[in-house]
Amino acid sequence: MLDVALLILGCAFATYLWRGLGMLVSRKVSMDSKFFVWAGCVAYALIAGLTARIVLLPTGTLAATPMWGRLIACAIALFVYFVLRRNLLVGLAAGFAALIALAAIR
Amino acid sequence: MQPTSTSRYPDARAAFWAAARESIGVPSLVLAAGYLGFGALANGSAFPLWAALLSTATIFALPGQLAMLEMSIAGSVPVVVVITVSLTAARFLPMTVALLPILRSSGRPSWHLYAAVHLLAMTGWAASMRRCPELPVPQRLPWFVGFALTNWVACMVATATGYLLAESLPPLVRQGLVFIGPLYFLLILTGETRTRHGFVALACGAVAGPLIHLAAPQWSVILGGLIGGTLAFSLVEARKRA
Repeated sequence: MLDVALLILGCAFATYLWRGLGMLVSRKVSMDSKFFVWAGCVAYALIAGLTARIVLLPTGTLAATPMWGRLIACAIALFVYFVLRRNLLVGLAAGFAALIALAAIR
Repeated sequence: MQPTSTSRYPDARAAFWAAARESIGVPSLVLAAGYLGFGALANGSAFPLWAALLSTATIFALPGQLAMLEMSIAGSVPVVVVITVSLTAARFLPMTVALLPILRSSGRPSWHLYAAVHLLAMTGWAASMRRCPELPVPQRLPWFVGFALTNWVACMVATATGYLLAESLPPLVRQGLVFIGPLYFLLILTGETRTRHGFVALACGAVAGPLIHLAAPQWSVILGGLIGGTLAFSLVEARKRA
């Protein structure tokens, strides 16, 4: 109980750190600096890696859905999203519905 | 959908409420969809409802919250979880640096800004970058807070809803809800990435993450980011020089 609360608050502090740091450096540091470019790359790769991992090698609830179902649902969501000029809400709804439908067929 | 450039409000209070109204539609709904999935996912883990709500209230960054949840399920060491979550939040630094010069006004105590940046998320950031420069300086921070605070409230409600619904929903719908989180990032990342560094990093990360997971599940999130990101950075820099 306490350990869960401490973990969350630790993560909250670690997240706020970047927002607060942005406040401090907003007058001084050049955003073209190589360090920030690298940090941006790490952040993008990290989120992309986590996303790909959840889709390809899920744990928990999603593990019960078929792999092809998850992949097709992703493709449908991407298709709808881009065809409707990056409509995030409809894209999400399409992927959500597609996964449910495909998992039900199996 | 957007009010045309009648972006002059009589006072700061009016700016706050106008932004709140603008946020209630699609922007909050999209964010809330991701948190609905987070709530449902948290229900299947060792996290009680209060913990899911506490994380949305205090972290308020979905990639970090998902990473925290996934890593806790995988049994990672807490220190590693905190470091990884911190890395997923690194994007806030450039976002804050870009937005703050617009929001800052002389005569306002700086703790107002320090409190306000906690509400910074992708949606509110993008909207404020577009709308705030059109406003008189004293109305900009109220506009941002009105927009972002509405997002925050919507995410709290969605977290609780996802968590509570998950138990009563059929497994199929529950799986669909949990799937919204990764879908959200798939769409946002492919649709909103603008730089070459960003695209290459996405590709490298998407390959590195699952591969490393096969070898070392507890470390896959952080190593996938560091290795994939550094590889992408080196590739793009090397091509620039060539």
